[in-house]
Amino acid sequence: MKGRLFFKILFSYLAIVVLSFLILNSFIKDELRTVMTGKIERELLAYARLIDLSSPADIKAQIAPVAAISRSRVTLIDARGAVLADSVFDPLKMDNHLNRPEVQEARVRGEGKSSRFSASDNMDMFYVAVAVKDRGRIAGYVRLARTLDDVKKTVNQIYRSFLMALVVIFGLALMLALLFSYTLTRPVRILERFTEKLRRGEPTGTLILQTADETRKLADNINYLVGELQDKIRQADEERNKLMAALTSLSEGILILDEQDKIEFVSRSLSDLLFAYYGDIEGKTLAEAFRNIDLQKIFHAFKVNREAASAEVTMGGIDPVILKVSLSEISGPPGEEKIMVVFHDVTRLKKLERVRTDFVANVTHEIRTPLAAIIGYLETLQQGAMSNPQDAARFLDIMLKQAYRLNRLVEDLMTLSKIELGEVEFRFEEVSLHAVAESVIGLMEAKAAAKGISVANQIGAAMRPVLGDRDRLNQILLNVLDNAIKFTPEGGVVTLDAQQREDGVIVSISDTGAGIAREEIQRLGERFYRIDKTRSRELGGTGLGLSIVKHLMQAHGGEMTINSRPGAGTTVSLYFPFTHDFRA
Amino acid sequence: MDEKKHTSSHYEKELQEIKDGLIYLGALTEKAIQDAMKSLSNRDSELAKKVIGADDEIDRLDSDIEERCIKILALRQPTAIDLRFITTAIKITGHLERIGDMAVNISEKAMQLNEAPQLKPYIDLPRMTDLVGQMIKDSLDSFIRADLKLAEKVRRMEQEIDDLNEQIFRELLTFMMEDSKSIHRALLIMQISKNMERIADHAKGVADMVTYMVTGECVRHRTCAIED
Repeated sequence: MKGRLFFKILFSYLAIVVLSFLILNSFIKDELRTVMTGKIERELLAYARLIDLSSPADIKAQIAPVAAISRSRVTLIDARGAVLADSVFDPLKMDNHLNRPEVQEARVRGEGKSSRFSASDNMDMFYVAVAVKDRGRIAGYVRLARTLDDVKKTVNQIYRSFLMALVVIFGLALMLALLFSYTLTRPVRILERFTEKLRRGEPTGTLILQTADETRKLADNINYLVGELQDKIRQADEERNKLMAALTSLSEGILILDEQDKIEFVSRSLSDLLFAYYGDIEGKTLAEAFRNIDLQKIFHAFKVNREAASAEVTMGGIDPVILKVSLSEISGPPGEEKIMVVFHDVTRLKKLERVRTDFVANVTHEIRTPLAAIIGYLETLQQGAMSNPQDAARFLDIMLKQAYRLNRLVEDLMTLSKIELGEVEFRFEEVSLHAVAESVIGLMEAKAAAKGISVANQIGAAMRPVLGDRDRLNQILLNVLDNAIKFTPEGGVVTLDAQQREDGVIVSISDTGAGIAREEIQRLGERFYRIDKTRSRELGGTGLGLSIVKHLMQAHGGEMTINSRPGAGTTVSLYFPFTHDFRA
Repeated sequence: MDEKKHTSSHYEKELQEIKDGLIYLGALTEKAIQDAMKSLSNRDSELAKKVIGADDEIDRLDSDIEERCIKILALRQPTAIDLRFITTAIKITGHLERIGDMAVNISEKAMQLNEAPQLKPYIDLPRMTDLVGQMIKDSLDSFIRADLKLAEKVRRMEQEIDDLNEQIFRELLTFMMEDSKSIHRALLIMQISKNMERIADHAKGVADMVTYMVTGECVRHRTCAIED
């Protein structure tokens, strides 16, 4: 369907044509009539004057030829209005004609005319009357009448051709209007379709118009704008993609608050970090989402000062993470500033920091205790206890024990640092875990028997051997078994078992001891970490056993996991893969 | 409550600020009772002093929230759910402020107990503290999310606290009967336990108010004056 513009142009054309015809018509119609009747009037008057020259009697006799010559109806009327003779009708049957307008006019002015409908002729007639004078007095009137049919006919004929012309012109105008309106609206329609496509975001291409007028310029402008717009959109998209890629790939968690302080965006790394504990936080405020006092404090401070701020915040529940939170403003129109919150996970850093300070403190403490004992006893001996051989022997015993302990500590520390530095040589070979377990149990038998603890080896002799260093495997199992026996009350049971899996073997050492709390398990691999500090030391541990196991397991490409519940015993699982790259 | 938007975003923001304020207040009180309990179990009187000092902020926040609520009542003339929200908020902030006071009470008792040798290892009290902390958290969650089920859960937890309180009472009774020198310490511990129980009552009060806010029904007492 064609638009309204087309009809507007078409109708304006037609209106101009019709209007000009109407105006022309009103002018021509009157003009034509006047000219034609004027011509008839002059002709009839001339005839009337000619007739006037003869006497009334002559006229009466000549009436028929006169009528024929002048092509009109001739009537002779006497001074009183009675019809004396008529070229068409019988005068006796005609009524008095004195009151006819043309006769009245002739009576006064000598000649008169009138155009009206004749009752006797039954048609439109034009009348001319001339007064016939006889010695100054009016003797009668000669009246000539001619039908106006001719005039009408001529006018009608002219009208017909006029109408014909009208129809032709109308048709021509219509065609022209169609043509013009079509050519005028075509570019506009193309523009319309183009912009419509653009609005819907469909690919548009370039707008090409085959015109040479203003629409061409318009199309050029539109093409330019579209190009600019697409460039801008592409740029914005690119920027956005870059930004999103940056935000998602950053290890730091990013969170954006909208102008209502509600969480608008959460980066993947952040939701990975916190989703488990806080769930879906989008659309909530910081207080609603995290209900963290420290976070709230720094947020309030930021809202007041509007200056970038940062603080360390501990978040999460059972396994809390320490996050360095930084807030900064994303500039925007006043009242619509958003806030970017960056979370940097410093848990590991903090943990390492603590491990390091703990380590130094522990080492000094562990060394100082036996040293203090040795020094103390040496002083006592020096001050005279040497003279008492019984005491001296006992003191020497104690001092030797403490010196051994120091030696053990230093040895353990050296082993540990050697493993860590990669200086330990591993000789990997196929080792039967059953045999290793047997030899370790043999070593610990006396110790277990002293506490009435039974040790069961359920590792099958046919179990597929693992790749490992025999001595180190011995050390691993020895350390774990030693712990198990140490922390299992008298009469308990320690079980060694192994499960073969597709890719490796899991050796588990279970005891019926007191068990370990969840928070403690995480710290068990740390150096010098002891659950029950005094008791462990009494039992002669250095606090490095599990730490060494952890590192040796790593060297074997395996790992150690500890499962325990307070009161339900502890199971240490050691996973040995069948194949691994021997990095040590 | 979150889904419907008010025509005035400023009004919306004012309501949100009250919500956030209550959450913050809840977090503060929760920390206060956790710290109060820690000061007891770790025999850390310094921490107890900190808890007592921190109560000022709880009081300040309480009056701040109340003021905001009254301002909204006066200027916005809220109706229906908003009116219930505001009145509920006023009552909740009162409950939380009282919980803060009780944390102070516990800290004071803890300081006294820390002067004397420990009567017994504290096992039930920390459990009670964890439960009460959960109750406060849940009751506030139920308020934020207009969650009736969670409010119901809080009401059920209160029974557990009552049982623990009873158990502690019986245990302390045996201590006192065995050794009259332990009576003073036992009484202090009993007061702490009682305070915990009162805190649980307040948390339940919050949950009751949430039920009122959501349904318009009063569940606080068996016979209720307000009926609409």
